[in-house]
Amino acid sequence: MNAIETKGLTKDYGNGHGIFDLDLAVNEGEVFGYLGPNGAGKTTTIKLLMGMIHATRGAGTVFGLDVDRDAVRLKKRIGYVPGELPQWGGWRGEEIVAYVSGIRGDVSGDEVERVARRLDLDLSRKYREYSHGNKQKLALLLAFAPRPALLILDEPTSGLDPLHQQEFYGLVRDARAGGATIFISSHVLSEVEHICDRVGIVREGHLATVGPLAQLAGIRTHRVVIEFADAVAAQMLRVPGLEQVSVDGQRVTGMYRGDFAPLIAALAGKSVLTLDSREPTLEEIFLSYYQEPAARQ
Amino acid sequence: MTLLGIAIRSHRTGAIALFVIGALSGLINAIGYVEIAGHTRVERQLFAQQMELFGRQLSYILPAPLQLDTMGGYLTWRSFGSVALLFAIWGVLAGAGVGRGDEERGLTEAWLSSGVSRLRWLATRSAGFVIASAVSIAAACLATQIGTIIAGDPTALGGMALEAMLVLAVTLVGFGLGMLVAQLVATRRVAGTLGTAILIAVYMLNSSSRAGGDVGALKWLSPFYLFDRSTPLLEAGAVDTRASLALFGVAMVLVLLAIDAFAVRDIGGPLVRRGVGRAPTTYRSSRDPLLRLPVIAIVDQQRWWTIGWALGLGALGLFLTSLVRNMIDTLSAIPSMRVYLQVMGITAYADFVGVMWFSTALFLLSAMVIVQANGWAADDGEGRLEAILASGASRTRVVVERLAATLVEVAIVIALSSAAVYLGALAYDIDVPIGRFVLATALTIPVAFAIGALGQLLVGWRPRVAVVLLGATAIWSYFIQQFAAVFSWPEWIAHLSFYDLYGRPLSKDGWGGIATLVVIGLAATVAAQIATRRRDVGT
Repeated sequence: MNAIETKGLTKDYGNGHGIFDLDLAVNEGEVFGYLGPNGAGKTTTIKLLMGMIHATRGAGTVFGLDVDRDAVRLKKRIGYVPGELPQWGGWRGEEIVAYVSGIRGDVSGDEVERVARRLDLDLSRKYREYSHGNKQKLALLLAFAPRPALLILDEPTSGLDPLHQQEFYGLVRDARAGGATIFISSHVLSEVEHICDRVGIVREGHLATVGPLAQLAGIRTHRVVIEFADAVAAQMLRVPGLEQVSVDGQRVTGMYRGDFAPLIAALAGKSVLTLDSREPTLEEIFLSYYQEPAARQ
Repeated sequence: MTLLGIAIRSHRTGAIALFVIGALSGLINAIGYVEIAGHTRVERQLFAQQMELFGRQLSYILPAPLQLDTMGGYLTWRSFGSVALLFAIWGVLAGAGVGRGDEERGLTEAWLSSGVSRLRWLATRSAGFVIASAVSIAAACLATQIGTIIAGDPTALGGMALEAMLVLAVTLVGFGLGMLVAQLVATRRVAGTLGTAILIAVYMLNSSSRAGGDVGALKWLSPFYLFDRSTPLLEAGAVDTRASLALFGVAMVLVLLAIDAFAVRDIGGPLVRRGVGRAPTTYRSSRDPLLRLPVIAIVDQQRWWTIGWALGLGALGLFLTSLVRNMIDTLSAIPSMRVYLQVMGITAYADFVGVMWFSTALFLLSAMVIVQANGWAADDGEGRLEAILASGASRTRVVVERLAATLVEVAIVIALSSAAVYLGALAYDIDVPIGRFVLATALTIPVAFAIGALGQLLVGWRPRVAVVLLGATAIWSYFIQQFAAVFSWPEWIAHLSFYDLYGRPLSKDGWGGIATLVVIGLAATVAAQIATRRRDVGT
């Protein structure tokens, strides 16, 4: 059974805003990265999965339960970090944890202490006195301490310093080792490269692609750098599939998509000094999806 | 939009609300004056004679009663004393908002980082309030003037304009006070509370002086003493120019001190930081068992707020009770007011306790519930609702739990304050039937239930209009309840008051109305659950 499954899930806010016809499956036990720039529809998707907003059409399930109809039952199995942190005002950290634990009913005091120590979060202070990073840590504590079967994390490392980002990656790895599924939205690509098994890229409300990191990085595109003996050859190079081309004297740089045969054919007869091809970084893949028109899907 | 435009706009809700209150007070008192004082010179002189005797008993809350046989004298006494206090309280709250609220919302930091200087920021925000409050006060005074025209006894327009200027001066003192206090403390809530407390203290200082208390030169510290020195609406009345200019001067000095303090303090911190006295570091959740119990957790978190309401309402109840004997004796001597008392069913001191205390308590308990409704709307906007739902609470539980917690708090407040009133009545030798008094106290709960449930429904439907609609309902109901008898309005108009359903349980049974309140509460609770389930959280 998939941990998360959506079929045609749509939230239409009008004027092209929202998320449209989302077909997505997240396997149990995997760490799934959900990538996209601001306003692409990541948070809308997450709010739909959390039952906070209602779908215009389509449906979604978590562990086979309907995200809307069975929202309350599901929450006992989900740990959640919202994209916008709640404002608890004058509550102390320890009071917030006690209050939320009281609602959940399944949070061990020892686990709270373990996670709080890992994140070095002092719970004696008032929420309004917390820095942004500490507020984020509290949100992580509330999500991880119940040891849920599914963690839905919306931009979870926002405001964390590098040291605590590493601690967060450790929490994710431990949760995964304990059998949890993790759905993480982010636009921090290095973070996704660190911890995710598969990635979905969302753009302008549509899911552009889904695949394992290795597949996205290795099959779809390559970063190529070709150095010619003369600048004229470099400027004349035209090959279908070669995109984001930049010519600097004798050197041509670009992203190449698809079978290499047309590129090799185009280079035949030309004086090529060096040809370098490598798998692109996720950053480059990500950009390649945003520099193309939406119609590409 | 320019910075000044934004500054003016940020005060629009307060400006409209205070205009409505000021206009209603002015209109009703102006039109009501000819109803209760009579139309002939002789009738009005008799009325003035009696009311001035009575008015001196009320000098703790109203200005000195002078020339009550004239429209201008009556409005000065009955309307503008209270209206000036309300506008000044708004000034304090607005000043606290400008001085600290903007900072809590990150607006101050955003503007300062865009190149606006600290001086320009506070000066422009202050100018915005001056404009917004001037428009609001001018409109309220204009409505009062229209009321005097409708009543057929118009006051001099120049006098009304001068009265408006005096109210503006007191309002600006309140604003300066709020803004200065906001520099000294860390949160808007504390600034608003402390500023209001100081304002009430200086108001009471003047009241004490008015009532013959020996406060010496201290009375000059009260802006309300300076305000009272001018009587532009009285015949041959005058404006004390020095006192009036002093009011504007004090306001200016307070604003300048606030700007100066703002220039030297850290953003986000008070002017003087206390030494670090933090609790020891902990990594464990709170051991308070109440925080883990449904309903009780909310009541526990709001315990100081609830105690504050109980103390405030209890003190007010005691004060009102202390006035009962004098009020009844004086009002009974005035023919028009005797009719009013008969229509209200007041034949004994105990009846008056019932009418005066429970009508005031209902209005203030409604205000308490409306403040809660405002908090429910904020829960949604500030992400707390999302956090609670994400923790496994159902939307139904949220609705029921909020309502239950509010009713527990209302029960605590009305029980303690009514106990104070009862003890006060005993002290003043007023025989209040204990059984009926307890029943009347308990029956305020269904009123709070109905308003709370309607609040939930409105918050679930349109959070942004919930407070405005509930507030309008409460004010409308209160005014109808208070003035339907004075103006001899038809019975059906009296029934338009929400509080009419409460009836007068201290003197007679009215279970039909109570049952209606319960039905309204239940129906609204069910509708609120449907609305809350259907809506998208955070939108």
